[in-house]
Amino acid sequence: MCKDYVYDKDIEQIAKETKEKILRLTSTSTDVSHQQFMTSGIEDKQSTCETKEQEPKLVKPKKKRRKKSVYTVGLRGLINLGNTCFMNCIVQALTHIPLLKDFFLSDKHKCIMTSPSLCLVCEMSSLFHAMYSGSRTPHIPYKLLHLIWIHAEHLAGYRQQDAHEFLIAILDVLHRHSKDDSGVQEANNPNCCNCIIDQIFTGGLQSDVTCQACHSVSTTIDPCWDISLDLPGSCATFDSQNPERADGTVSRDDHIPGIPSLTDCLQWFTRPEHLGSSAKIKCNSCQSYQESTKQLTMKKLPIVACFHLKRFEHVGKQRRKINTFISFPLELDMTPFLASTKESRMKGGQPPADCVPNENKYSLFAVINHHGTLESGHYTSFIRQQKDQWFNCDDAIITKATIEDLLYSEGYLLFYHKQGLEKD
Amino acid sequence: MKMEEMSLSGLDNSKLEAIAQEIYADLVEDSCLGFCFEVHRAVKCGYFFLDDTDPDSMKDFEIVDQPGLDIFGQVFNQWKSKECVCPNCSRSIAASRFAPHLEKCLGMGRNSSRIANRRIANSNNMNKSESDQEDNDDINDNDWSYGSEKKAKKRKSDKNPNSPRRSKSLKHKNGFSVCTSASNTLPLLFSSSGELSNSDPFKYNNSTGISYETLGPEELRSLLTTQCGVISEHTKKMCTRSLRCPQHTDEQRRTVRIYFLGPSAVLPEVESSLDNDSFDMTDSQALISRLQWDGSSDLSPSDSGSSKTSENQGWGLGTNSSESRKTKKKKSHLSLVGTASGLGSNKKKKPKPPAPPTPSIYDDIN
Repeated sequence: MCKDYVYDKDIEQIAKETKEKILRLTSTSTDVSHQQFMTSGIEDKQSTCETKEQEPKLVKPKKKRRKKSVYTVGLRGLINLGNTCFMNCIVQALTHIPLLKDFFLSDKHKCIMTSPSLCLVCEMSSLFHAMYSGSRTPHIPYKLLHLIWIHAEHLAGYRQQDAHEFLIAILDVLHRHSKDDSGVQEANNPNCCNCIIDQIFTGGLQSDVTCQACHSVSTTIDPCWDISLDLPGSCATFDSQNPERADGTVSRDDHIPGIPSLTDCLQWFTRPEHLGSSAKIKCNSCQSYQESTKQLTMKKLPIVACFHLKRFEHVGKQRRKINTFISFPLELDMTPFLASTKESRMKGGQPPADCVPNENKYSLFAVINHHGTLESGHYTSFIRQQKDQWFNCDDAIITKATIEDLLYSEGYLLFYHKQGLEKD
Repeated sequence: MKMEEMSLSGLDNSKLEAIAQEIYADLVEDSCLGFCFEVHRAVKCGYFFLDDTDPDSMKDFEIVDQPGLDIFGQVFNQWKSKECVCPNCSRSIAASRFAPHLEKCLGMGRNSSRIANRRIANSNNMNKSESDQEDNDDINDNDWSYGSEKKAKKRKSDKNPNSPRRSKSLKHKNGFSVCTSASNTLPLLFSSSGELSNSDPFKYNNSTGISYETLGPEELRSLLTTQCGVISEHTKKMCTRSLRCPQHTDEQRRTVRIYFLGPSAVLPEVESSLDNDSFDMTDSQALISRLQWDGSSDLSPSDSGSSKTSENQGWGLGTNSSESRKTKKKKSHLSLVGTASGLGSNKKKKPKPPAPPTPSIYDDIN
């Protein structure tokens, strides 16, 4: 209708392949002169228009475009407002989630608060804009701190705080202030919110309690924003040397002999746990108090999976930090820890092969580290830009980091992003 | 071909025009269309702008990877002066102090509630309106009030009980007996030229110096080994600062020591001359004979260069001593100056580092 020329992708592909074939034919020809003739002929045809480089330049607009390969836009320091390194690290991690970045930079947030100056999501939006502005001076997140103190009173106060606690609190406030950005409200399930936070962070943790007597299973699914993992050497300890390998097909990208890995911790997390005779649960099917086993698995995987290594231990009045080095992989496959995997295993079959193989694969994009002791310490973070560029963020100072720096760091909060949904 | 059969002459103008137009269009199309299609295809397929990068702009945003610099090529730790505006009180606060400020501003900290309670208590007592809230916040923000509270408390407990100034007798008498164990760490503040300054935290109103009238010879000697000793013109008291006190010169100190502890030969003139604040020439001559003695060798190493001989070194006794001459009661000092010989040994008692070379000199003299 509009008489525009359309270039169909498939036909383009065919044309490209045909051209390549021709080139290959000409290059295999032994007749040099013939070759020259053919190539020159083709070149002529192609170059009648392309060699005139000046013409394209005249037509192209004079925009300043940059290749995204190595440049600093997207990285910006954050001033420490007084023991706020924990907040700065979480902000760095959040501002580098591609989906969240797209959401805020395309202004998809519609404020629902009565006074927008109190809306934390609005503040996150301006924070994203500040972080991606290309400015080289560090940003001062004082408004964010103020709003957090207002909306999450348990965090208010000038003192050192826990980054994980801050993460949960900020996600909670963002969730409350978003309510339902997509506009779709599910009336039948008031707990199901479709805000951007839920879309990105909420996973489903399935808890199966099996009665030892009648073997009936009682299942509950709880939403979760993160997974807190016990470490070897803690009171809820496990021996990393002999991990319970129920599933032999676990891919161990992070396995270093003798050193516990994130996968080990996840296996421990999803192990069947005997609850013991002191914790008998009333079974609904056989109506009696029986011993049971409980097992946790992932029912629904979030887009961004946050793993919290429980390095701070409270035993009675004793509090200590566990410094055990845990190796973690750049890529993580969550398939072995899924509820569906467990079910199919129990049914005596292989894991379902119909699912897309990459669906459960994650790649690491942020690591938050704690340096120091329980009483006094400092948080820094490693952030990934592009596919493999890592940067160390220490409040206002951002430096380039190597993969070794990253992989040998202690690790406290690990952020993984589902593959396939990343842009880069 | 039809075209060959035609001849241009047989055509009228309009047809010629048409032919010319057609030829022209063909030529233009030939030259442009190919390019147009290229660009159109490139834009449609999305690769038109692919290589179009601006090198200058690329450089601006390039990542820097050098030790000591961040990725923007900036030096670390230059952001100390960043400021922000507090959303609560709309004041400009240093960014790195924002969190503690906000805590107080919102009334959240432990101290804030304590101060608030205290204020409430005060206002109840004094029946005052709490209009000074802002002021109090100011104080809080500076953390100075805390500091001053602490300091004030500390000062009261920090007084050196051994200090001669603490001696009760000091407050009542005009003069007092100096503890022979007068330490050389008397932390006293008083202004130069003897002006009484009450910034002294120990709040001595009477004297900020020592009256030498009642001092015994031993006391004087020991005093002079540890203190400046220069006598203030106004208060007629000896300076109790350290031997290197900046308010008095070494000349003055030397003069004082000569005056008190010099060789006995000096005495008669000393007595008479000490009536006024200026030196008579006769006195200076007498004193010159005592020039060998370096009054306080621990003043500075450079002072130890005093010669052994009795040459007139021209210490400028006139000028210096005029400021610090004694008052009427000088006769009592005669006994003091007579026993100058012990001075060398006194010097050895001095705890201060520069080892006095003059004891040897002095020994020679005596």
